[in-house]
Amino acid sequence: MLDRLMQQAEQAEVFELESEATNIGFEANRLKSFEVEETRGVATRVVVNGRLGFAASSDLDATDKLIANVLESARHGDAIPFHFPAPRPGPPVQVYDPELAALPTERLIEMGREIIATVLAAEPDAHVNVDLERRVRRATVRNSAGTEVTVETAPLSISAMVERVRGDDVVTLFEYFSTAVKDEGYRTFAQRMADKLRLAQRAATLASGRMPVLFSPSGTPVLGLPLMLGLNGKNIYRGISPMAGRLGEPIFDAKLTVVDDPTLDGRPGSSSHDDEGIPRQRRVLIDQGVLRGFVYDLKTAAQSSAEPTGHGERGLFSPPAPSFSNLILAGGDTPLADMASGIEEGLLVESPLGLGQGNVISGAFSNNLSLAFKIAGGEIVGRVKDVSIGGNIYEDLRRIEAVSQEAEWVYGGLRLPYVLLAELNVVTRQ
Amino acid sequence: MRERIEAALRASGADYTEIRLEERESTRVVFRGQDLETADVILDRGGIVRCLVRGGGWGIATFNDLADLPRRVAQATEGARAIEGEEPIELAPVPACEDAITVSLERDFRGIPVTEKKALAEAYNDILRSSDPRIVDTSTSYADTFSRVTFANSEGTYIEEERPMAGIALSATAREDGNVQQAIEAVSRAAGFEAVTGHHALAETVTRRAVELLAAPRVQGGRYTVVCNPRLAGVFAHEAFGHLSEADFVYANPKAQEMMVLGRRFGEDILSIVDDGSLPGLRGSHRYDDEGTPTGRTELIKNGVLVGRLHSRETAAKMGEQPTGNARASGYRYPPIVRMTNTFIEAGETSFEDMIRDIDLGIYACDAFGGQTALENFSFSAAYAYVIRQGQIAELGRDVILSGNLFVTLKNIDRVGDDFEWIEWGTCGKGQGGLPVSMGAPHVRIRDVLIGGE
Repeated sequence: MLDRLMQQAEQAEVFELESEATNIGFEANRLKSFEVEETRGVATRVVVNGRLGFAASSDLDATDKLIANVLESARHGDAIPFHFPAPRPGPPVQVYDPELAALPTERLIEMGREIIATVLAAEPDAHVNVDLERRVRRATVRNSAGTEVTVETAPLSISAMVERVRGDDVVTLFEYFSTAVKDEGYRTFAQRMADKLRLAQRAATLASGRMPVLFSPSGTPVLGLPLMLGLNGKNIYRGISPMAGRLGEPIFDAKLTVVDDPTLDGRPGSSSHDDEGIPRQRRVLIDQGVLRGFVYDLKTAAQSSAEPTGHGERGLFSPPAPSFSNLILAGGDTPLADMASGIEEGLLVESPLGLGQGNVISGAFSNNLSLAFKIAGGEIVGRVKDVSIGGNIYEDLRRIEAVSQEAEWVYGGLRLPYVLLAELNVVTRQ
Repeated sequence: MRERIEAALRASGADYTEIRLEERESTRVVFRGQDLETADVILDRGGIVRCLVRGGGWGIATFNDLADLPRRVAQATEGARAIEGEEPIELAPVPACEDAITVSLERDFRGIPVTEKKALAEAYNDILRSSDPRIVDTSTSYADTFSRVTFANSEGTYIEEERPMAGIALSATAREDGNVQQAIEAVSRAAGFEAVTGHHALAETVTRRAVELLAAPRVQGGRYTVVCNPRLAGVFAHEAFGHLSEADFVYANPKAQEMMVLGRRFGEDILSIVDDGSLPGLRGSHRYDDEGTPTGRTELIKNGVLVGRLHSRETAAKMGEQPTGNARASGYRYPPIVRMTNTFIEAGETSFEDMIRDIDLGIYACDAFGGQTALENFSFSAAYAYVIRQGQIAELGRDVILSGNLFVTLKNIDRVGDDFEWIEWGTCGKGQGGLPVSMGAPHVRIRDVLIGGE
């Protein structure tokens, strides 16, 4: 296909995606479904007369139509001054563990039962849905500059949704675990849910006001999401990121260091190359509060006159876009045990609702919290309901009270510590 | 293809087998600022087989390669057997039917050249860009999709359906120093190219609002009487209440059934909420759902009292109720689950003027940027809002995020407007990928709503 495209285009790229997955589903504590998935498709880009075109297809019999579509797309496309990359080696990184790729379905079922048992031991009224998925994903990029890169990953991912209804009182919890290497981390994951449910059994009340707010790793994305949008090369090029044009400036508290690291072994977000065939590398984006870099794919780098950073990510049906691999908020120097100890009265944020809602690019956040706890006298004393927090990271992260040494992987690709802000707006029903 | 599908069904060793195949062609034109992001055509073809074995579970196979359907049926059957031994799954009976649903579009977008689609999107984008120097970013997306979905099951049902969709989404971002504001409008309908033409005034509205929001003060956080415009009230009906009326939330959970027991009072007499997938021409409308059950009108709340819920064949059988035609799937990658279709609050009797007349300090919250619920808790953000002072609409406000407890909030609805409006876009993200839905409502007044903010 690449040869055929090269006869009609100055530059060409073919991206092939193949993926096979087995998914075991538990619903309301019971084994419910067994699913096998096979995905196959091809996406292609060409440059004709300097203009970029894109097309994709999962119809395996439609190669002629796909080629016609991409050439037609290029007739309408913008002139983009970039070149598909020549072959370059990437860092060695382990993301394919044959043992994990071949994990028997009986083992997936066992793990699901174990997770449910752990949760039910803490909260017998809980209804737990668990999805366990074993996948092998093979993505190959070939281009007219001679690059041919195949990235094969075998992630195991587990998502769990817990509901506990008692009268009109509802607790919901959503947690996600993923790994690309055989490990027993799912046990910690299950235990963490059990601990949260146990804590949620006691109710507490809290008055509205400005107070210390401690974000757990699952709560920290409230602060992380505006950061991610602000660091994304697309928003830099577009000029809508409040961080645009501020490289080298201290924007945040020196306790904030943000790193994107695709070279970590065993993480599903890691890989030697991105989906455009560019080698990846560890990059410090914010160093002790000082802005040091952004993430770009080929196109946004060309548009911004910057170097591509190896952050082009794509599904089958969309052109690549800048995205993070493993985004890490570096741990701080406060032991977890000491994080809450100085808090007279405050809030622990566990599960935010409405992530990504509202005017996130401006740094603003405002979230109702589906799970949050009152901290009094340095201790977690009980669950607070009907509570929301609000603020703006460009103001509120200028001063961070403490960052924990410990960190956890959440939502797959984020490694986050506990973060304590000395003062944030909290609105409750009291 | 029909012969191959029916042969594969006949060869199945499972007690129940269904096959759903989908072929989809989409054209997309996207502008960001002065740049064309993409003008492309996507071809997507795939299928799903779902099997049930007595005493076992659901076995599912999804695929892009349609060559060997009997093998996919065998894979799904194996899966269903592999998890035998748990609680039996029954399906409520639905009469077998054969149907072919074709559409005739006023202006069929499949015959319109990409050049014309691009020109239309560019014209909207130029309006977004040209009006004010403070507009730093714009986005204009044109998308049309034509799908052919074939559904067949081992009970003799065979349905072919054409599903068109055409839409545009317009957004503008205004910036002044560190202050960044956005405005969005969208139109998307199960219709032809006529659905997306003639929206130049809408583009003007978008830029004007983004610029005006720059000067708008943040609304002070606290508790207010809130009047929701129809487009926000519609999202509320879907997000905050609708999801709780989906039977897959309650059918396996006795405690949740107690909470959502039919006959329970949820609101005042003025409140009625309905889901109806059979209304013609709306985004959530189909003659049948993705299990071959005819769609219809389901009253959820009637005069304040819970009277119904939404079912798939499985949840209906388990609860001894009737299937409602609400088993829907976001494409061939997913099995059908209980989903809403077109969900709406029925019009009441209060005029807008009467609704705000006695409010000393309140919020008129308009449109929704998004919404999320965790059952009893919800959170969504108004796209823009006005402060109501002494019974009058006063200044524009921004960053209005409404949150609260569903039960309390439904009870606090004390006025329902005599107007009504459908939202001409709407996508539900429950569990799977996005699924087209419609939401509708009149103006609705809610006492004592928590508004987040500074």
